[in-house]
Amino acid sequence: MCVGFQELRFTLLVYTINIRVSLGRYNDDFDDGEDIAEFDDNDFAEFEDVSEDPAVDVEKEPPPRAAPSSTPIEDEEDEATVENEDGQDEFEDADAQDQDMYSKYDNEEFEGHEKTNPSFKDTLIYREVPAHLQNSWESYYMEILMVTGLLAYIMNYIIGKNKNSRLAQAWFNSHRELLESNFALVGDDGTSKEATSTGKLNQENEHIYNLWCSGRVCCEGMLIQLKFLKRQDLLNVLARMMRPVCDQVQVKVTLNDEDMDTFVFAVGSRKAMARLQKEMQDLSEFCGDKPKSGAKYGIPESLSILSEMGEVTDGVMDSKMVHYLTSHADKIESIHFSDQFSGPKVMQEEGQPLKLPETKKTLLFTFNVPGMGNTSPKDMDSLLPLMNMVIYSIDKLKKLRLNREGKQKADRNRARVEENFLKQTHAQRQEAAQTRREEKKRAEKERIMNEEDPDRQRRLEEAAQRREQKKLEKKQMKMKQIKVKAM
Amino acid sequence: MTVNNMADPRRPNKIFRYKPPNTETNPTLEDPTPDYMNLLGMIFSMCGLMLKLKWCAWIAVYCSFISFKSLKCNASGLLSISAVVMSYLQNPQPMSPPW
Repeated sequence: MCVGFQELRFTLLVYTINIRVSLGRYNDDFDDGEDIAEFDDNDFAEFEDVSEDPAVDVEKEPPPRAAPSSTPIEDEEDEATVENEDGQDEFEDADAQDQDMYSKYDNEEFEGHEKTNPSFKDTLIYREVPAHLQNSWESYYMEILMVTGLLAYIMNYIIGKNKNSRLAQAWFNSHRELLESNFALVGDDGTSKEATSTGKLNQENEHIYNLWCSGRVCCEGMLIQLKFLKRQDLLNVLARMMRPVCDQVQVKVTLNDEDMDTFVFAVGSRKAMARLQKEMQDLSEFCGDKPKSGAKYGIPESLSILSEMGEVTDGVMDSKMVHYLTSHADKIESIHFSDQFSGPKVMQEEGQPLKLPETKKTLLFTFNVPGMGNTSPKDMDSLLPLMNMVIYSIDKLKKLRLNREGKQKADRNRARVEENFLKQTHAQRQEAAQTRREEKKRAEKERIMNEEDPDRQRRLEEAAQRREQKKLEKKQMKMKQIKVKAM
Repeated sequence: MTVNNMADPRRPNKIFRYKPPNTETNPTLEDPTPDYMNLLGMIFSMCGLMLKLKWCAWIAVYCSFISFKSLKCNASGLLSISAVVMSYLQNPQPMSPPW
């Protein structure tokens, strides 16, 4: 009896190990924690109060691999048989018994299993392994997309930057000779001590290149800005697919006082003229009339003219200019000559007395690079005649002088503008003057208070009083005079 | 009758140095996009770090890339990259699309 019991125990141990090993393969649907908690040192405890449903599930479905996941019921069965048979036989028959389990299954053998729910008809629930534990990259497709997007952005940045750089260089190469023959200084970034030509463009950022030229008759200097499209920015590239835009070349020539007479004039595409008339300080003040069609002066319909007076237009639109404008009308965005140039209208802040903006005699040319964004370096050569036009304009305006009538009209216009400005800011300036006066008084009073010597204090006070008295008297005199005049 | 043909128009004695235009007087000429992108990048990376949202961190990386090129400002770039790294360290599961 004693020996049989030991053998029984050994057999059960083997089966326990078997179960544990097989159940270990199905980590997810076998709750180890629960079962381990139930087990105590007694080997038999594991066969007590075991949940019967999984057991039932496994029993009814005889897939071959379910066989190793033998349930405690199997053990009960074996337990029952062990008592009758020799324990050693159990070892040999262990595997065979597992496989024959289902054939030996007898519904009546177990109690309390009749009311098995139909849940065993459901298939085994295979829990999904969390994606980060799977060894597949497919689950990270969003991340891969993101990284691909970033790489695309970087690629576009490099390509765009290089393209802009090549375009700038192509422009400079085609214009270098013309500029060097006209200007003593070609290329200056303002940082070097001596004024020597750098001979190259100044890169402001990935899409804007500057060139400063100086040292010529009839002008102070010329700033050329190559305003390319933001090819380095992917967002911009996508936006441009919706709305095509051109690269632009902007030339700003600043003149000395003697280089130009007093007038304001502009010619360019109709859209540009409408926009400039609203935006530019000088054009809105001096060229109040709507832009006139260029057809009257022999230039294409697409161009319109804003002018201070007819004489100016006649003077500027000579045959050569007309020829330039006609042959390159598609590339001309705007041409703006002004002796009152102060840039776009500045938004005035409230309560701030605006001084008349500083003006400078300027010629401003804006050209569109052909290609509408799809520019190639070869297109830069087509801008060379336009630069010739610029040089021609500089020389021409030096010689263009208004006649006496025109000059008078121009002077009247400027005086009118100034007067309007002063009127508008009159209230503001008065306020400012008032505050200044009050400040002065306060400062004086403080000084008197701070004065330690009582004598000096008294003297200063008296002096202040006398000054006040004088002012009052002056005012009264003025009022009297006005009254007399009125009468 | 062009002066160019007759005489050299260059005057070395009349050279003026280049003065960079004062951008304070023309604030409208400056492009505000990189500044906005920088700020947006900062905000998204903070959201991504605090709320542990992966997509926030990724958007922050994009924003900082866009502004990085213009401003050469590394702070938001590093912050957004750290936001992405931290999100993945804390929760290595892949990002699920919103649909």
